[in-house]
Amino acid sequence: MKNPKEIKSQETPTLKKAFTKALISFISITPMLIAVMGLVGLMQIYVTPDILSTFFGYGSLVDTLAGTLAGAISMGQGMISYVVAEGLMEQGVSHYALSAFILAWVTLGFVQLPAEASVFGLKFTFYRNILTLISTIIVSYATVLTVGALS
Amino acid sequence: MKIAFKGMKFLIIVFVLYIILLIADTTHALSALQKAGSILLSLIPLFLLIIALTALINYFLKPKQIIKNFGKDSGAKGVLYAIIGGIISHGPMYAWYGMLQDMRSHGLKDGLIATFMYARAVKLPLLPFMVDLFGLLFTIIMTLYILIAAVLQGKVIDTLGKREMKTL
Repeated sequence: MKNPKEIKSQETPTLKKAFTKALISFISITPMLIAVMGLVGLMQIYVTPDILSTFFGYGSLVDTLAGTLAGAISMGQGMISYVVAEGLMEQGVSHYALSAFILAWVTLGFVQLPAEASVFGLKFTFYRNILTLISTIIVSYATVLTVGALS
Repeated sequence: MKIAFKGMKFLIIVFVLYIILLIADTTHALSALQKAGSILLSLIPLFLLIIALTALINYFLKPKQIIKNFGKDSGAKGVLYAIIGGIISHGPMYAWYGMLQDMRSHGLKDGLIATFMYARAVKLPLLPFMVDLFGLLFTIIMTLYILIAAVLQGKVIDTLGKREMKTL
């Protein structure tokens, strides 16, 4: 039988122990983080705004899907998505596509799929990304339609 | 202490990809490497913050409390915490995987992870840019729909999880 002191020490880790545990947990995912950052670097060089703009101009439904796809393959700070979106807007790309693009930029990421699967498992990653894909299209469409109805 | 590294195969694949590109397209590959390096440097403060946050969660929140606040019976309170966490969390999603993995091992339910991840689409510092680009009404409506979608995603993930448990 464990004595009360032993039980208490198991329940309340010292701050040093908690920090060590957090550090080890973080170190364990560093190969994955480095790999994702490596891929993000490649995507930022090879997937340029000019390439992204070729995805659009085929009607609102196809453009929304294209916006979702373009956002999912693009990586970088959220701020960049607005800069790219502004450029696309000037080219006449619809609000459906632009909102899908901005949403997918933050919530989806083909580059980080292997990392997500290795941390949370294949099933969770599959379900979450499918749901996110559907949500992104619905939210984009619903937003444009609601704003259109209200204004 | 033995550390179980995650994503080693993934890292090797990316490493091989870089080797191939360095031979085939040296200029772009070097630029990509430089980009990756600058991303890593820019994320170091965030990584330190996340390590500190994980340590504080480990220290202050006992597994029982994590289960109570973020577990299967956490209810609306858990959803609210996940939404607030998602909105205020900064940086790329993958930076938060370690902390979520740690909390998950202590009882954080999958539905709340999904809610957290989708609620991250609401970026407070970027809202002025969205207003500038799409207008105020559009921003308000979109933010509202994102939050609804975040909650629904969490519910669906939990329902799918429960269904799978039943079939086992």
